[in-house]
Amino acid sequence: MKRSMFLLISLVVLTSMILTACGPKPTAVVPATAAPVVDTPVSASLLSTLVEEPFSPVTVSAPSCDYGGEMKSIEAVDEFTVKFTLCYPDPAFLSKIALASFGVQPKEWLNATGGGGPGSELLTSPVGTGAYMLNQWQKGQEVDLIRFDDYWGTKALTKTVVLRWGTESAQRLQELQAGTVDAIDNVGPADFATIQADSNLQILNRDPMNILYIGMNNTAPPFDQLEVRKAIAMGIDRSRIVSNFYPAGSVVADYFTPCMITNGCVGDKWYDFDPVAAKALLAQAGFPDGFTTELAYRDVIRPYVAQINNVAQDVQAQLLANLNITATINVMESGTYLAAADAGELKGLFLLGWTADYPDQTNFVDVFFGAGQNDSLGTPWPDIGDALRQAGSLADPAAREPFYVTAHNLIKEHIPMVPVAHGVSAMAYKATAQGANVSALSDEMFAPVSISGQDTFVFMGNSEPISLYGADESDGESLRPYIQITEGLYGFKVGTTDVTPFLATGCTPNADVTEWTCALRQNVKFHNGFGLDAADVVSTFNVQWDASNPLHVGNTGEFYYFSTCFSAFLNAP
Amino acid sequence: MSQTEETIAKLDSENISLMSVSLWQVTWRRLFRRKSALVGMMILGFLIFIAITAQWLAPYDPYIPLIGLEPVTMRAKPCIHLLGCPADKYQHLMGIDGNGRDEFSRLLYGARLSLVIGLSTVTFAILIGTFLGAVAGYVGGWLDNVIMRVLDVLLAFPSLLLAIAIVTMLGPGLINALLAIGIVSIPSYARVVRSSVLTVRETDYVSASKAIGSNTLTILFRHILPNVLTPLIVQGTLGIASAILDAAALSFLGLGAQPPTPEWGSMLGAERNQVFTAPYLVFYPGLAIMLTVLSFNLLGDGLRDALDPRLSHVNG
Amino acid sequence: MFTYILRRFLSSIPVLIGILFATFTLARLLPGDPCRAVLGERATDAVCDEFLHRHGLDRPIPVQFAVYVNEIAHGDFGVSLRYSETVGQILVERLPTTIELTFCALILSLIFGIPIGIISAVRHNSWVDVLTMSWANIGVSMPVFWLGLMLAFVFSLLLKGTPLWLPPSGRLTAGNLAPTFAQVWGLKVPAQGALAAMVEFIGRLNILNAILTGNWSLLGDALKHLILPSMALGTIPMALIARMTRSSMLDVLDQDFIRTARAKGLRKNKVVLKHAFRNALLPLATVIGLELGGLLGGAVLTETVFNLSGMGRTLYDAISARDYGIVQAFTVVIAIFFVVLNLIVDISYAYLDPRVQLK
Repeated sequence: MKRSMFLLISLVVLTSMILTACGPKPTAVVPATAAPVVDTPVSASLLSTLVEEPFSPVTVSAPSCDYGGEMKSIEAVDEFTVKFTLCYPDPAFLSKIALASFGVQPKEWLNATGGGGPGSELLTSPVGTGAYMLNQWQKGQEVDLIRFDDYWGTKALTKTVVLRWGTESAQRLQELQAGTVDAIDNVGPADFATIQADSNLQILNRDPMNILYIGMNNTAPPFDQLEVRKAIAMGIDRSRIVSNFYPAGSVVADYFTPCMITNGCVGDKWYDFDPVAAKALLAQAGFPDGFTTELAYRDVIRPYVAQINNVAQDVQAQLLANLNITATINVMESGTYLAAADAGELKGLFLLGWTADYPDQTNFVDVFFGAGQNDSLGTPWPDIGDALRQAGSLADPAAREPFYVTAHNLIKEHIPMVPVAHGVSAMAYKATAQGANVSALSDEMFAPVSISGQDTFVFMGNSEPISLYGADESDGESLRPYIQITEGLYGFKVGTTDVTPFLATGCTPNADVTEWTCALRQNVKFHNGFGLDAADVVSTFNVQWDASNPLHVGNTGEFYYFSTCFSAFLNAP
Repeated sequence: MSQTEETIAKLDSENISLMSVSLWQVTWRRLFRRKSALVGMMILGFLIFIAITAQWLAPYDPYIPLIGLEPVTMRAKPCIHLLGCPADKYQHLMGIDGNGRDEFSRLLYGARLSLVIGLSTVTFAILIGTFLGAVAGYVGGWLDNVIMRVLDVLLAFPSLLLAIAIVTMLGPGLINALLAIGIVSIPSYARVVRSSVLTVRETDYVSASKAIGSNTLTILFRHILPNVLTPLIVQGTLGIASAILDAAALSFLGLGAQPPTPEWGSMLGAERNQVFTAPYLVFYPGLAIMLTVLSFNLLGDGLRDALDPRLSHVNG
Repeated sequence: MFTYILRRFLSSIPVLIGILFATFTLARLLPGDPCRAVLGERATDAVCDEFLHRHGLDRPIPVQFAVYVNEIAHGDFGVSLRYSETVGQILVERLPTTIELTFCALILSLIFGIPIGIISAVRHNSWVDVLTMSWANIGVSMPVFWLGLMLAFVFSLLLKGTPLWLPPSGRLTAGNLAPTFAQVWGLKVPAQGALAAMVEFIGRLNILNAILTGNWSLLGDALKHLILPSMALGTIPMALIARMTRSSMLDVLDQDFIRTARAKGLRKNKVVLKHAFRNALLPLATVIGLELGGLLGGAVLTETVFNLSGMGRTLYDAISARDYGIVQAFTVVIAIFFVVLNLIVDISYAYLDPRVQLK
């Protein structure tokens, strides 16, 4: 009797499962928002079905500047002129539009692919004007680029570029030594000496435009007491950290900003290492025997720290030995960590860093101590914010300097965090690679690189790109192919942080730096043969700027660089 | 008297009972006969010795970096005076790790940790597994079915992936890793206990016990569980071996022991990028794991054979 | 036979349902905010609300579960929040790596494990037996990740420059694009749908693909890259299979019917292979079935050490990053695979030993 009951029930369940499977398909869980989500590419040759639209003038503009962003309007005045109108003066405008995310794609392609979304070809097949075009992205394997023979500038020297990835620095070095790859990124600190000693390889250091700091939330006890923060500022031997865990060329951070950025190293230098005074301060604050706290971080490799596990353990050991502070290490997952930091939820010590996106103080100190800073360090300091605001509204570096002196001195006085190091990161190429270049902004170009006797150049980075739509990506590995494939109005001169015109022949500002008019280069072709015109530029910017645009989809919809550089999206929900 | 009667009288007078050789003595003797089990016990004894005397054996502190205390480079090669390293350099038998700590000292302290890991996980899993298995086996019926189905679902997942998921839920840390491994190990013990219980439940002496009115608990404890003990011991010893391996795997992935704890798996995991430049930092912790696990495996195998009544060994 | 199969099949169903429920709950229990876990850098509340709405994560849990079951039944595994791609697509891309690796490891373990087991059983208690069993004991005790690293060290560093050198990572040499058999044969395949997925899936199984297209250099390259990972992953099963084969062979060789066969004058080899081995197969089937669980767990570690982007590694990354879509789907796939496998093992039991059916 029991067995037949069991059989019966199982049959019922089985039948219902079959009915469900064969029944009507469920309506999509994901309700369509304004953007028509493209599930899968309609056909692999979507690109070949495109028809070029003739130019017609187009303007996109914000009704007023109340929405809080920098852009007021973007106008395609005529076929080869684009005018940007800003809500407030921005002397760093050219540096911003030189960033990889603003590479121009044809408007027809943006339209046809729906601006992104799961399975959209925009995420896997960008179309640009660069020296290289995409051949294919073999997921999990490599990204293959091939030379664009109709390039407007100097053609690429090597026919094929293969971008691969290896998460371990030892593996990258291995393959470089074996000759299976021609260049690697993020050389491991232990490998610098090895590569320098190897005559078959060359190592190129990137200038350290970054900072690693120990963060403290000034609303979380005991870090709300200045003496405690000061004790930690003086109680950690930062030069020991730099000399043991950083590659040669890295420097101890005397200021928050590295010296290679104008006005980065003005004002008073940071405190010296003085454990005795530090311990006395801690006792003064009421902790003669130290206290227990947490040291949080995420296990990632960044130019500002190559071996964060080792650095964290040394900080932990020093805190214990010098100050009797017991710090439990808490390694968090990257996304969760950033979210917690942003929301001010890290109540202990935490390790974080920053690499500049463009070489200006407004992309350094302002991010952390100016308007729009997040809650990671607690309550903002109004006096620092004032100084920075005044500095950011001026164009002349010399005029900005006294404000940055004030800001730096205030930072030293308030101790919102402890700056640790400016880290050198490096790329290594085969010694036979001509034209090998590195960029402080990780903006390396492969077009000028060649190795005699090879028509393929293989590069190995850290990880696979998340998508190939650079407008909606912020990590270097996803932007690297984008940089080779697309170009912006401006770009960075190879191996430097100086901006130079690319698709524009020049962008001139008006008197108070609120309008920038850019003249486009003529006879520039996209990889699919279409011609570049001002409407493509407007479209490229507009899909990122206007949140109500159906093409404002991307990969995650974050459009990080646009929102960082230009403060806000138009018509944000 | 006949010779037989003489012998019997003699034995009687000497008060020797022919039945006094207990199961444990038999087992012990049989265990010692197997060479592999002997090797396992020796290694284990050595490990326990190291675990107890680590503080005195270790030349350096396993937690304090040597930066500033002596001229040390990160991940320096081993310096063994006996093998030619100049006497003016500090001796580091297995080199220096990535944070300037003596690898050999950390290895010694790691023995303690590994043994604790193995014992605690298995104890936890045995306690819960025995309870579940006994209940399922003895009570039977729908309860048995439910418990077994749940355990089947647990067993449907590869154990390491399930442990990873549990640790991610609870947050990384050694205690959570142990909990995860313990949970994942429960089904095998439950099954062992259940099948033993099922076998014993139908025997005559249990029926007799029921007939005379003993309650369930008495039956369970006095008759059934002692029979369960032998397969549990075997399973448990082997379980310690796999628990140590799993804990090392979780620590290797960064989910188990947190720095600066000198656990072998996390020591290995921290240095895995440096396998080509500092292979000794990867080799020694792994070797230690292997030897420890080997000793438990050998011991478990030996116990299994020694406790197996089927194997007809004379002079038990 | 048929009723037995039906019975076993039906009793797997509650397990399947339990698995679905467990994976759904498990994924939901992972702490952390999925929105910021994906968007990470400075996602505002407004962006997150829209994100949650877009992915249906703001509906009540029971509704989510019902939708989930419905989709699984249709083979729709949802969308990965990080890669913004359907999980099905990610499965198609990464599962072949793991399958190839696991398959090769298993083959390796069988090819070496079974003969070793047989030999040591036949030469019971000789030095061959002692040697192989010691080695088997060591093999079972080795951490997979340690073995992988040591193998990489020996074959990629120490043996560099020799013909024995093996690559330490990846599935193919750089730039070695593997044209799929569909491309080589000129098949017209629709861009989406089950058939396209199937074709792409097979195309990514490098070895199979190479054989289908007759591309022998590709085959060699793929195999070369598979040797070290398979060796690392397959050692523990190899040792276990060797031991299991040996002990079940010993059991069988001890029995009367073997003595009879020998007495009848059959040559030793024939006796061993034909009679003894066939009977020793049964426990072997169990071990193989059990080992696959360990193989998948070991695959995570092996894929980490050798930098292969396969299912194990992806699942681990997804768990860390709270990528619900991948976690649920992959766990369901693994679990269903296991249930099916156990079913097959049980059925092969019944085939190998008819007495089982009567239970």
